[in-house]
Amino acid sequence: MTDKNSTAPAIAVEDLWQVFGENAAPALRDARGAGDDKAIAKELKDKTLIPAVRAANFEVKSGELFVIMGLSGSGKSTLIRCISRLIEPTAGSVRIDGEDILQASDKRLIDLRRHKLGMVFQHFGLFPHMTVADNVAFPLKMQGAGKAERRARALEVLELVGLKGREDTYPRNLSGGQRQRVGIARSLAVNPDIWFLDEPFSALDPLIRRQLQDEFLNIQATLKKSIVFITHDIQEALKLADRIAIMRDGEIVQIGTPEEIVLHPVDDYVAEFSKDVPKGRHACVESILMDGIPDNMPDDPGIKVGMTLDTALTKCMELYEPVPVRDAAGKVIGAVHPHELANALQAEET
Amino acid sequence: MSAAEAVPANAGRKLALARGSQAALFVLAIALVCRLLGAQFEWLMKWPAALTVPMTDWMTWLVGGFLDVFKPIARTFTFLVSYPMEGVGWLLNALPWPMTVALVTALGWTIGGLRMAALGFFGLMFVVFSGYWTEGMNTLALVAVSVPLALLLGTAIGIAAFEFPRVKGAVNALLDVMQTVPTFAYLTPLLVLFGFGPVVGLIASAIYAAPPMARNVLLGLERVDTEIREAAVMSGGTRRQQLFLVELPAATQQIMIGVNQCLMAALSMVIIAAVIGGFQDIGWEVLLTMRKALFGQAFLAGSVIVVFAIIIDRMSAALAEPRPQQDRKVAFGILGAGLLVTLWSVFAGWSPSGFAALDGVAAWVDTGVGTFTGNHGATLDTVKNTSMFYGLLPLRIGLAEAVLPFTWGFMWTAKHTAMLYGVAAVISLILMLKGRVTAGLVVMILAYVAEIGIAHLAWPVVIFGAGAIGWVAGGWKLARLAVILLGLVLISGLWERALLSLYLSGAAVFACAIVGGALGLWSAMSSTAWAIIRPICDLLQTIPLFVFLIPVLMFFQIGEFSAFLAICMYAVVPMIRYTRHGLTSTPDEILEAATASGAGKWQTMFEVRAPFAAPTILLGLNQTVLYAFAMLVIAALIGTTGLGQSIYLALGQADVGLGITAGAAMAILALVADRLVQGFAEERRQALGL
Ligand SMILES: Nc1ncnc2c1ncn2[C@@H]1O[C@H](COP(=O)(O)OP(=O)(O)OP(=O)(O)O)[C@@H](O)[C@H]1O
Ligand SMILES: [Mg+2]
Repeated sequence: MTDKNSTAPAIAVEDLWQVFGENAAPALRDARGAGDDKAIAKELKDKTLIPAVRAANFEVKSGELFVIMGLSGSGKSTLIRCISRLIEPTAGSVRIDGEDILQASDKRLIDLRRHKLGMVFQHFGLFPHMTVADNVAFPLKMQGAGKAERRARALEVLELVGLKGREDTYPRNLSGGQRQRVGIARSLAVNPDIWFLDEPFSALDPLIRRQLQDEFLNIQATLKKSIVFITHDIQEALKLADRIAIMRDGEIVQIGTPEEIVLHPVDDYVAEFSKDVPKGRHACVESILMDGIPDNMPDDPGIKVGMTLDTALTKCMELYEPVPVRDAAGKVIGAVHPHELANALQAEET
Repeated sequence: MSAAEAVPANAGRKLALARGSQAALFVLAIALVCRLLGAQFEWLMKWPAALTVPMTDWMTWLVGGFLDVFKPIARTFTFLVSYPMEGVGWLLNALPWPMTVALVTALGWTIGGLRMAALGFFGLMFVVFSGYWTEGMNTLALVAVSVPLALLLGTAIGIAAFEFPRVKGAVNALLDVMQTVPTFAYLTPLLVLFGFGPVVGLIASAIYAAPPMARNVLLGLERVDTEIREAAVMSGGTRRQQLFLVELPAATQQIMIGVNQCLMAALSMVIIAAVIGGFQDIGWEVLLTMRKALFGQAFLAGSVIVVFAIIIDRMSAALAEPRPQQDRKVAFGILGAGLLVTLWSVFAGWSPSGFAALDGVAAWVDTGVGTFTGNHGATLDTVKNTSMFYGLLPLRIGLAEAVLPFTWGFMWTAKHTAMLYGVAAVISLILMLKGRVTAGLVVMILAYVAEIGIAHLAWPVVIFGAGAIGWVAGGWKLARLAVILLGLVLISGLWERALLSLYLSGAAVFACAIVGGALGLWSAMSSTAWAIIRPICDLLQTIPLFVFLIPVLMFFQIGEFSAFLAICMYAVVPMIRYTRHGLTSTPDEILEAATASGAGKWQTMFEVRAPFAAPTILLGLNQTVLYAFAMLVIAALIGTTGLGQSIYLALGQADVGLGITAGAAMAILALVADRLVQGFAEERRQALGL
């Protein structure tokens, strides 16, 4: 692992725009006068341009797993294409470990991609003329690794994704899910620091998906990569994410921890995503603390900071008065009303 | 299609109708003026010689100067290329024939198993027995050297066009031009540049065969999936690594189609280039035997060409398909067997020239054709004369001159002219009353053409007629293009010859449209018919142009009718294919809707399928037009007048100026026709909301 600049975030995106269509850059510059981002986007759309990503601002900390969610066509893939500079953003800046990637020379980009960045593509992007092993070993070949080394490493990662024994077939002879795993293996082969994954588990059956998610969390726990992960599946997002960004029509409408997204959606669009999520399992008691602490609390069932709503509720099933919430040291930092606990859990069921 | 879209489409159609009527009226007015005043003002009928620009001379001077500069370089190139060419020629001739047969058979096995092996074996054995082995190998040697050149050139052009978007437009225009300029027209300047000899054929075929390769490389690269491209980028490949390790290999299938087309074009051109002579190849053999009226031999030599074409085509096409791995051992077995036979043949003294076993066949064909023409000469003459006197000739010089007592039985007089226009006027009136104004006007214009003949049409009618059609089909831009390009031909002094070419290709296209359309319709209605017609179409498209001349010569001798038939045979194929394809590819839900409305088979065909197929059929017509022009030049060998003849003459005299101007004029005719038909196809497609 290379030595990271400890102060700089792994990825910092500032006011990033991606507009598709003829003469997008001057059109965007002209439209800037129109007012806020919504007005700009509207003006661009009137000119039949497509503002696929609008004014994106966010940071991914080193070692963080950052998930992007959003409906189909909301600009998720486009956003990570901009960050990895597979397409030139129309405006804005992207820094990777403090380095302005939009100013990087071709040579520097090649270098970054060989050693630092990895990507799993939504539609896999496998090379049809290469065997599975050659596909996986391709990034190593670009690095200049020897033949035997490439082969050994390819077999190693293929085993990791459960494709042992298929190394000499061609992608066309694999099922969709198997192809997807080849794509994952390929991006793992060089062990990148920063990893972009565009719906990497979408074509897998639930069983293998869960296995790979667990495997993925394992890898992440030991290697601590900085990851941008796109998914449609809220369960997957909640399971994996440190933070989640929700996109709509090219705009990032909310960024927050899984819990914030579930309990405090900024609008109906975001709420709709977590509609079917059992909130009790994701939210902690802090999220429903009362204003102020009542002087007199007769019961103390032992509610602690960080406890999920589900657990807390089982502890105060039969209580009707507010109960204290203590931190790890045992100090009372707030109180919850059991009634509120039940309400918070019921809200989602209706 | 939703209702919202249907409305503007309908409105567009009404507008087009109105445009059509306006254009027809305009042309009719010009025709009227020319018809009435043509006698007084001769310049209306014939472009004054004083205003003719001596383009041919300018070209001679311009290109001549250019060629003189490059001649030394070209001659050096000739010198350099002659080595590999002679080397390969020597190799192919020195290699004992059983070994060559074994090699090709083994290759066939590796590519496509038993079927391809059998094709290779029987095909080459036929060549051995025909007694044309040496000539055949000489031709193959030319192909073998020109194809790598063409592949390299084409790939380079394709990659350049892909890598540099700025170059792409220019490259596409260049490829368009290279494909419309008639094949013979290439040869004259090349002849001057590279000197007489087989190298000219080689270079001409490399130039001619490069465009299909370039187009397919470009297309293949463009079609590589974005994510595959991006995966190579993210792997950290340099641009060159991306291109050569990922994008080109991922485009293999399309590129192999290019290789197939490239091979076929090279073979075709090598054979056409035989007219230069100086090389003992199979094309020359065909030409020679044809000139001597040794049709049996010509037929045999032509068959050798066809066999080569089929082998090369089918084997390279099989390369583009995904295919199972064949057993290597069998291939080695075949080679071993070849080796044994070779040893044996050395002892026994078999030489390929001693194998004229099929001379008997040639003689048999000769006598057969002789007997046939002897017995049915009267019938053949009737066919030919009827078509000539009642079809082609009136079309060319008009009823007014073509109707003579000894053919039609009466003399054309002013009375007949009046009758012709009278009948036309009545039909026209009926049509107009029925609301079909454009059709009515067109009938009147056609009456004028019938009286005068295409070759005698007044130039304003042709040029502004083309302009008017262009305006209807594609607006002012197309109209301007047509008028300017044809105007260039007019002032170049080649106008009369151009009209003759226009007449012959027009007649052939017309015949092809009717016959091909009918055959296409039949193939669409009956799968049995298609099962019969399809292999014939495949065969006709594989045969190099040149070979079409042999059968027509056998039965109809040299002359315009033979040329007409040869053009039709070649140009009818796309019409059949596209018609059938268009008619059978109507979306299912539309057909179901028609069936649900109670439409019968034929009703569905004409009410639903045909309108839907119109754009596709028009594209077929477009191909037919281009094919007809391509063949027109080749047909000059067996007696046509017009531009084709000029190009051929220029070749014989190494007259660069004439060769280039006539070639350019021909290309202009083809280009204008191409754009007009495509304009209509586009208009129809938009009207259908496709
Ligand atoms: N190269 C392009 N040219 C023009 N428009 C594009 C291009 N790429 C994407 N778009 C448009 O940008 C928008 C966002 O597309 P994007 O692929 O980023 O969506 P997404 O969020 O990844 O959707 P999905 O979940 O279906 O993958 C879409 O409206 C799409 O049509
Ligand atoms: Mg996407």
